[in-house]
Amino acid sequence: MAFPRELYKALEDIVGKENISENIGVCETYRCVPSQSSAHYGPTKNWTPRPQAVILPGSAEEVQNIVKICNKYGVEFKASTTFWSTMGYIGGDFALQIDLRRMKSIKIDAKNMHAVVEPYAIAATVQAEAMKVGLNLNIPGVGCSSSTLANFSTWVAFGPNSISMGYGNENVLGMEWVLPDGEIVRTGSLASDDGWFCGEGPGPSLRGIFRGAFGAAGSAGVCTKIAVRLHPWPGPADFPTYGLAPAYKADWGPNFKCYTLCFPDWKSWARSIQYFYESDIAYSGHRQFNMFGRNLKGAMIEIISNHERQLTDLEELVNDPYIKEQTEKMRHDYQVVIAGFTPKDMEYKEKAVDYILEQTGGWKSEMMLEKDKHDYALLYLTRLGHKNLNYVMCGAYEGVLGLTGNVWKAIEVADEATALKRKWETEHTSIAATGGDSAMGCLSGLGGGGTTGWEFFTNFDSYDKNSVEGTYAFVETTQALMNKYAFGPDFCRWNSDVRKMNGYNYTQEEQNEMFKKAAQPWVFIYQYKIREAINPKNLCGSYVRTLDPKALEE
Amino acid sequence: MESMKQNLVDIVGAANVIDNPEVLASYAKDESFATPMKPWFVVKVENAEQVQNLVNWARKSQTPLVPVSSGAPHFKGDTVPSVPQAVIVDLSGMKKILSISRQQRMCVIEPGVTYGELQEALAKEGMTLSTSLRPRANKSVLTSVLEVEPRLNCLHQFNYVEPLRCTEVTFGDGIQMFTGEAGGGPQDLKKQWELGKWQVHPGGPGTTDIVKMVTQAQGSMGIVTWASLKCELLPTVRKSYLVPAKKSTDLEDFVYKTIWGRVGDRLFVMNKAYLAYLMGDTVEQIAELKTILPNWVAPVSLSGDILLPELKVESQEYGLKEYAKQTGVHLLPEVPGVTADEVIEKASTPSGENYWKLTYKGGCQDIFFVTTLDKTPKFIEAMYELAIEVGYPTEDIGIYIQPQHMGTSVHLEFSLPYNPDNAREAKLVKELYTAASMRMSKLGAFFSRPYDIWSTIQLNKDAQYYMLLRKVKEIFDPDNIMNPGKLTIK
Repeated sequence: MAFPRELYKALEDIVGKENISENIGVCETYRCVPSQSSAHYGPTKNWTPRPQAVILPGSAEEVQNIVKICNKYGVEFKASTTFWSTMGYIGGDFALQIDLRRMKSIKIDAKNMHAVVEPYAIAATVQAEAMKVGLNLNIPGVGCSSSTLANFSTWVAFGPNSISMGYGNENVLGMEWVLPDGEIVRTGSLASDDGWFCGEGPGPSLRGIFRGAFGAAGSAGVCTKIAVRLHPWPGPADFPTYGLAPAYKADWGPNFKCYTLCFPDWKSWARSIQYFYESDIAYSGHRQFNMFGRNLKGAMIEIISNHERQLTDLEELVNDPYIKEQTEKMRHDYQVVIAGFTPKDMEYKEKAVDYILEQTGGWKSEMMLEKDKHDYALLYLTRLGHKNLNYVMCGAYEGVLGLTGNVWKAIEVADEATALKRKWETEHTSIAATGGDSAMGCLSGLGGGGTTGWEFFTNFDSYDKNSVEGTYAFVETTQALMNKYAFGPDFCRWNSDVRKMNGYNYTQEEQNEMFKKAAQPWVFIYQYKIREAINPKNLCGSYVRTLDPKALEE
Repeated sequence: MESMKQNLVDIVGAANVIDNPEVLASYAKDESFATPMKPWFVVKVENAEQVQNLVNWARKSQTPLVPVSSGAPHFKGDTVPSVPQAVIVDLSGMKKILSISRQQRMCVIEPGVTYGELQEALAKEGMTLSTSLRPRANKSVLTSVLEVEPRLNCLHQFNYVEPLRCTEVTFGDGIQMFTGEAGGGPQDLKKQWELGKWQVHPGGPGTTDIVKMVTQAQGSMGIVTWASLKCELLPTVRKSYLVPAKKSTDLEDFVYKTIWGRVGDRLFVMNKAYLAYLMGDTVEQIAELKTILPNWVAPVSLSGDILLPELKVESQEYGLKEYAKQTGVHLLPEVPGVTADEVIEKASTPSGENYWKLTYKGGCQDIFFVTTLDKTPKFIEAMYELAIEVGYPTEDIGIYIQPQHMGTSVHLEFSLPYNPDNAREAKLVKELYTAASMRMSKLGAFFSRPYDIWSTIQLNKDAQYYMLLRKVKEIFDPDNIMNPGKLTIK
């Protein structure tokens, strides 16, 4: 249903003609495949609904006025910026898509190590500005082209740096929110204009109603500005790189090393990770290149780190005896970046890594010590600017399984999960055969260690119906494995209870049915009550899981 | 009243319901200037089931509940009822350490566990817990972390509320639940441990950080009956230094640089009076220390545990010396009157039976808030100006600056010792406390833990935030039975 003229005019009056459009061609570009994973474009044939209009506000005040208009006319709205994944898109027919790309300021307080950012300040830009003053930030796995504000305030935000910097929730300081009812709330020290330095309180921390283990993905209003904690960067201020596109590399001198550490089995692998949790040695830690699959990663690393190589070289490289041997040695591996704040600090950290390897029977991958590969991996993990590689094999991918949490628990399932995927790879043609184990993810999803977060990359062809349907069927089997070991929803079904496969929001009745049998239904009741308090007209989609208390009484 | 008492007896047993006037009087006031209010009963609870029954009873009978886990003396007014006919819920008897996992570096404890008890148990497993500055001997660890008392090691404070992770909480509406990772179920700790779940991740459950509702809340949302805490490895090597300075500003660059360089596991700043109160065991010793200590001191400590500890300390020492050189300060193993090892040891361990802040004059009023290190000089200057105005001896003002949350902010604390038996002195300190709290607020102090008069001062600054806070309170405590009167604007 098209917007009534007076509604469109009211919105136009807020932002000006040039910042709003109801052109079908424009609105059509604000649609997305309705993946139910957290941040991928999974196997599906549907699309999210087309918004009735797209609007680009330039300030919190404009956002507030837009939201008030939406409340007046009962218009669903959702704000997004870099539009990575389905979460940022509207889920109803009478809906307004808010695009925050005009709001992109960055202000850094170098002494007190934080940056105040607007929605379209992407991580790459925040990082570049921070590095000028010796600082860096946690860039989540989604990559540096995504919005720092969106990641930290409304989703999860863990990545390679989280082991030394903490994940999104740990790094949020003051926040400015336009609530779904149009009121503006500022949390922490900001609530009293005292500054952006503290995110908690006064009293109970109300920012807890906007995000928990993960955020509300735009269903709790519009976050218009946040302060994020920055962390020390002992490298150069100008982030020098070398090499030819797309195989850029970095050499930041002797105080930076990127190692691929390898282990004889999962147990020694997990023990080594525990050592990293218990020390302050790792600047970054990620099992990165295994995303190409256990059998292909050596060959793929050769291809992506060498600008003269092509994907057509894959078969030749896979069969190359040296690469074959090196790939085999990297079966149980991960990458770590070690950064020295002083030469002595680097000396200690180098020796500590060697000590860990000695204690666990591990080794450093020789191939990854070659200068071009080392420098490529160092830049990759520090910048996370290569997200295109996620798609390079088949044009689409989905993360499945999701062995998150206790690393010791995860390894108990690793071989079975690998065998399951390998079996599917060899018995079906729907997903790429990469070697079964394609688990990738961060060493720690929490600052200082404690929980891991893997997903098994599953490559498929989104233009091939059989591949899409086969991949979907594969997920049925991985979910069964997840259930068997009490790991909860499969990674690619994290959002299956917040948006339907047809791209639309769930109704309250549908959510009631899902959540009334939960282990702790109270959580969803509290979320319902909070939504009622700040979003009485329920205008921001269904990404906040809610349970009407009346449904439980029934 | 008798029927009310019988209801309580039915829930916790006759031996655990106390209406002895002397005991009630002891809960009617604390060491702060909060208005005294005698409670109706004190009930000692032994488990979460009793807590839930008590909350449900309080809802029906509209009886205010005030949870208390630490032993006296209390200092902030949060355990003094703000309304009549309240029941004190004494959780100090819940003293179980429910689990210690060396592999996960986690422990789960009940509210009555003190720092001394927990550290002793953790040490057996080669672990320790980051601590607030020399807590009282009978201080509840759980209360300390729920109220977000600043930790000595800001560099491992990845989360603002570290080391707090998951909890079991009974909210004011009677619902009892697990928070954080534990909220994913099953709602049984033993079953979770069997599944390899150790209550590590604090976030959630879901899109809401439920644990944030009970932090800095002064018991006004619910009652926590266990909490999981992140532990550290017990250092095997330690080396400490004191960095003296004439002015606090002389230490600023050094502190910033040390935090940036991620050096050490203890770093804070004190003026001579505060350090004297911490280190002196008698009035005479304190008086002596106040005459010989440097004006300002930044204690800093380096430690190593299982991974090449000597080499780690050596490398950190190299960095520390570099930063000291760059910022023009000196690292000393001792200053007149105290050694660095003594300061670090004393700061890191619980107080003796006589709480150290009371040694000098028998009473003490603190003013503390959150700010940034570079803003501290203006608050310090204002405090001295006010002290002179009201006639409080400036040399008695203790000042403690504790970097927190990996250095993004600091806890700034002014400590004002006084003789509570001297009415004139008490009146003067109360006047200074009130005036200084208001002045600091105007200068930008953030009372993140708004006790007593700070509640009105802080919450008055933002009507929108306050309105939302009241809405949230209504969700979790619809009958307003949980410590009513706290976190309100009066």
